Amino acid sequence: MDLTISLLRQLSVFLVIAYLFSKSPAFKPLTEKNLQPKSKLLLFAIFTGFSVLGIYTELPVEGAIANTGAIGAVLAGLIGGPVLGSAVGGTAALHLFILKGNSALVYVVSTGVAGLFGGLANIYLLRQNKPDQVFSPKAAFLATFGAEALQMLIILMMKNPFSEAWALVKVIALPMMIANPIGSALFMSMMRDQKSMFDKVGALFSAKAFNIADRSLGILSKGFNAESAKQLAEIIYDETGVGAVSISDGKKILAYIGIGDDHHLPGLDIVSPQTLEAVRDNKVIFADGVHEHFQCAISDSCQLGSALIVPLRVENEVVGTIKLYEPKNKLFLNLNKTLGEGIAKLLGEQLLRDRYRTQRNLLVKSELKLIQAQVNPHFLFNALNTIIAIVRNDPEQARSLLRHLSNFFRKNLKRSGDLSSLEEELDHVNSYLVIERARFGDRLQVIEEIDPELLQIKIPTFTLQPIVENAVKHGISNLLDAGVIKISAGHSRDRAIIAVEDNAGCFCDKLDGDGLGMNIVDKRIKNLYGNQYGIQTECVPDQVTRVALVLPFEERESK
Amino acid sequence: MIRVMIVDDEQHARDELASLLNEVAQVDIVASCANALEAVKLINKLHPEVLFLDIQMPVIDGFELLSLLDQEVMPQVVFVTAYDQYALKAFEEKTLDYLLKPIDPERLKKTMAKIEAAIDTGEEPHYQTPELTRIPCASGHKIKLIDPKQVEYIHSDLSGVHVFTAEGNFFTELTLKVLEKQIGLLRCHKQYLINLAHVAEIITLENGLAEIVTLSNHKLPVSRRYLRSLKEAFHL
Repeated sequence: MDLTISLLRQLSVFLVIAYLFSKSPAFKPLTEKNLQPKSKLLLFAIFTGFSVLGIYTELPVEGAIANTGAIGAVLAGLIGGPVLGSAVGGTAALHLFILKGNSALVYVVSTGVAGLFGGLANIYLLRQNKPDQVFSPKAAFLATFGAEALQMLIILMMKNPFSEAWALVKVIALPMMIANPIGSALFMSMMRDQKSMFDKVGALFSAKAFNIADRSLGILSKGFNAESAKQLAEIIYDETGVGAVSISDGKKILAYIGIGDDHHLPGLDIVSPQTLEAVRDNKVIFADGVHEHFQCAISDSCQLGSALIVPLRVENEVVGTIKLYEPKNKLFLNLNKTLGEGIAKLLGEQLLRDRYRTQRNLLVKSELKLIQAQVNPHFLFNALNTIIAIVRNDPEQARSLLRHLSNFFRKNLKRSGDLSSLEEELDHVNSYLVIERARFGDRLQVIEEIDPELLQIKIPTFTLQPIVENAVKHGISNLLDAGVIKISAGHSRDRAIIAVEDNAGCFCDKLDGDGLGMNIVDKRIKNLYGNQYGIQTECVPDQVTRVALVLPFEERESK
Repeated sequence: MIRVMIVDDEQHARDELASLLNEVAQVDIVASCANALEAVKLINKLHPEVLFLDIQMPVIDGFELLSLLDQEVMPQVVFVTAYDQYALKAFEEKTLDYLLKPIDPERLKKTMAKIEAAIDTGEEPHYQTPELTRIPCASGHKIKLIDPKQVEYIHSDLSGVHVFTAEGNFFTELTLKVLEKQIGLLRCHKQYLINLAHVAEIITLENGLAEIVTLSNHKLPVSRRYLRSLKEAFHL
């Protein structure tokens, strides 16, 4: 009985050490599902330490020893598998052998076997598809119990004479088979608790990260400015719970929320040397408040004591910073440091995407400008030539044509907005058609069927005229008799259709392959309203070409 | 008086050019017309000395028009265009001159001086014309463009030149001479051109005459004069 209590007392020393160990950072890698070689090495060192310690603190019992050395080996085997178990057991045994020589041979063998046994238990559990059970105290208890029983058997078999062995086993078997499994189980339960705490922290971290990513999505699409920065700072402040959050561009504070917002005002220039350093050197600066203090450069009475400063990068160019602060009386959590760096990376990616989108829009706009510029010269000179001819016989008509020509060019040059009403587009088209009709006379007929309800519908600027111009070109250029252009606008319940038809039905193949610059119009409509809208083309060779703009339409409430 | 013809698909443009020509020079405007087919017909008939030719016209443009003309009737050509993107090409074709619309009367005077000089030297105009890849034919109010490969044979009679294809026969303003030269059909008779790819049989008759039977079973006469070249074409 005394022996049991002594063993338990000895165990409690271990448990204290184990407890401290489980709280240390060194423990964390051991909770991973697949142990890395580095973690295995650590596990080996720690458990060998335990086993050796158990041997040093052995209790002499009637010329033999009762010890807790097997615990380390069994647990190592249980967690890390038979190889690790045998290694720990073997090393401890080797140590024992060097210490005591041949006389301790029995213990040398039994300690090694204990490690192997733990490892076999590990394999068994994995084979049973119960990897979670590896960390259960019950498994630890049973494995240690089994290992101790085995140890007794080995003593009985190896120690001579048998009567002496029997006497020894009678004394130590019960204490060791009770105390050691209990110690093992307690040890494992400590590890399990710690492991589940890590898991919880990990889950919490992931949840925060996802929340921030989710809530910040799209904010930067309006640009990186004071307004979007404020929204972002609020989200980060909310989710991380740090003392204060600041977002700056390369020079100024854009947004600041939290402790110290009385003197860290948005719009101020960046003065903190640490922030300037982060921007200049493109690196993360962490003043943890313990080794390195954060000193507010604006106010001496500022309560902030630690700070994480992460540069905001777009394609490795620093465009700003994100700063998280904690006050002097609070520790800066490691979790928030990781989160802060992650957020900066996330926002950098969003800014990059935004930059691409802007560039794409610019490209579309410049393509558009090019089209506008392309139309003009031929039309202009032919129009002028026509007017010069007409002025001989009909100065009044010539004056009217010149006014239309002015209107056409003014519209062409001036419009920069993305959208204009159908009415404005038709006005543009009309000026164009008046001139073309004067040029071609009887050879061009125009029919317009416009539902007045649609006159105010918005369409992408400068869409209709090029389509009409194409129709005129085709209608006129492939027919010796009159080309008939029909412009119509009508709607169904939810769609407006603005169509331009000619009766030539040529360039059908060009329509498909977009020789006519229709792709860009289609792209613009789809960008504006969605993929179900855009340009529809139909072509029956030698009969009809029809190009239609399909746009969203909302029936107005009948008044 | 220089005999001039104007081809432009725009009425006002034709009128304006005619007015200007009458103002700056002594010319006889023998015809003016709106498209290439009409132009070919009128040129073949009226033999103008000078052609003012718009480049951008329906179906067949000004350049193509030149390949529809027999060298014998080829006038001096002045291209007229609204925009000078074609000007360079026009120079490459070595036309006599080109004018930009709206036409400057002073510039037109210089052009007329060039024309007079060219006519005085009596040098025949030679233009590099694009290859004829389609035969323009009248088909109702439209111009039907026929791929030379589809042509079975071409026949001329008093009413004009007829192009025979599987789709039917079409009237064209082009002369047999131009067609023979431009699209590689073989002359088998004074009034017939045959597409060798459509020949099924050649039957020799008495007196050195022969008869061609086409794949679609049309029979064409072969005159003594052309039988030899026909045989050579088939390596007979």
